[in-house]
Amino acid sequence: MSRPVKVYVIDNGGQWTHRIWRVLRELGYSSKIIANTTPVHEIDADALILSGGAPRIAWESPKLGNCIDYLQLFRGPILGICVGLQLMAVYCGGKAGPSKVPEYGLARITIIEEDDLFKGLPKEFLVWESHNDEVKPANGFTILAVSENCKVQAVKHLGKPYYGVQFHPEVNNTEHGEEILRNFVNIVDLNT
Amino acid sequence: MFDAEGFIEQIVQELKNKIKGKAVIGVSGGVDSATTAILVNKAIGGNLRCVLVDTGYMRKNEIENNEKTLKKLGLNVLVVDAKERFYEKLRGIVDPEQKRKIIGELFIRVFEEVARMENARFFVQGTIAPDWIESGGGLRDRIKSHHNVGGLPEKMEFEIVEPLRDLYKDEVRIVGKKLGLPSEVYDREPFPGPGLAVRIIGEASPDNVRIVREACAIVEEEIEKAVVDNAMNRPWQYFAVLLPCKTVGVHGDVRAYGSIIAVRAVESLDGMSAAYSKIPHTVLERISVRITNTLKDDVSRVVFDITNKPPGTIEYE
Repeated sequence: MSRPVKVYVIDNGGQWTHRIWRVLRELGYSSKIIANTTPVHEIDADALILSGGAPRIAWESPKLGNCIDYLQLFRGPILGICVGLQLMAVYCGGKAGPSKVPEYGLARITIIEEDDLFKGLPKEFLVWESHNDEVKPANGFTILAVSENCKVQAVKHLGKPYYGVQFHPEVNNTEHGEEILRNFVNIVDLNT
Repeated sequence: MFDAEGFIEQIVQELKNKIKGKAVIGVSGGVDSATTAILVNKAIGGNLRCVLVDTGYMRKNEIENNEKTLKKLGLNVLVVDAKERFYEKLRGIVDPEQKRKIIGELFIRVFEEVARMENARFFVQGTIAPDWIESGGGLRDRIKSHHNVGGLPEKMEFEIVEPLRDLYKDEVRIVGKKLGLPSEVYDREPFPGPGLAVRIIGEASPDNVRIVREACAIVEEEIEKAVVDNAMNRPWQYFAVLLPCKTVGVHGDVRAYGSIIAVRAVESLDGMSAAYSKIPHTVLERISVRITNTLKDDVSRVVFDITNKPPGTIEYE
């Protein structure tokens, strides 16, 4: 019998941090929410999800605690959501800042490349958004999905097991949200 | 899936260990506080006193109906009439956060008085996850101060117990159902702790309460009737809001100048995100006609809110 996969949620102060934890729990994974100031050596998870949050990427990245450490030192897949994605993009050499047209609530995304994250999902579906900032050039990443007003809705890193989404798969109104999170956790290989 | 049975067993045990002697719980008749009360009742039985505060901001006939329902569940209920105290403290207050904080503090003062009378050191409330998430703290921005979290005063005479803190509304409903609550309680639409006070934009005066209370009753009645007639599904939440501006109308060839009522109805699972309900126009029209006729001296216009959450929140303040 294999043990349940451990996926921890790094809390960047989002309205929906607790929802990520709830969906992971419902999917049968072992999960807990931990502060973004938790030292990386104390984290015994198989995968991490960097939550969204109120901090603005251009001016408030210190509020994102040790997230950079996790990107540098954590061994395992990481999914960045919203500001979590933005930080990941900046860390990898891209840029992020205020959106020309921010998106709140309903948006439609188009999948460009299915990859692991969108395996088995339709080419277009409705998602829930809540962002003032966005990733502009996502250097080092393949873009997996776009929306009308935001050209970086989902990405995968070219070399590392890093994924990011600008929309919120953990929100109940987002279509196929649970499947996206399940697809992400399925990347974890407990045998390595 | 959420394991309600396991949750109940674990929480009742925890409550038995934690609460020594008597406890007071704030109940409204809603699913969160009723479910919490039944859990605590299971743990400490006769040592629990349930307090239903009439803030003056409850809906039509709500205090009487809820008192009956709660007593039928075998709970030891005390109704405290605090209408005048709430109206007095909220006189002239228009800022939504200030309103919520005044209400939060006054609730606690009323509960403290009962706790003193009962000699209780523990105060239980039906706080659920969105209450503390939206109240903010630490990194999390404050969206609104929920009366039972962000609206609490700094000093309180008792220890607070919140057994449902990590649950969302849909999970609470499952627990409530498991505990044997009737469907009119476990399926009841959410109603904010500060009540109609946050459905009045501007001063929550007794006269404004009268207007919004009647409008809320009409919205509820018409939507529930349409649901019974299979014209629509029941939304997650549906209500009226009184807006603080006036517009011109015409009544029997005479100029009218009255307020605007906004009708809000949303679909949600847990209140953390929501889409506005696509209510049939015939139902909206009935609501509009009834509100403008019934409240002809106060309301000259009715609008329907088509904002999702985000960017809007479900309630207006």
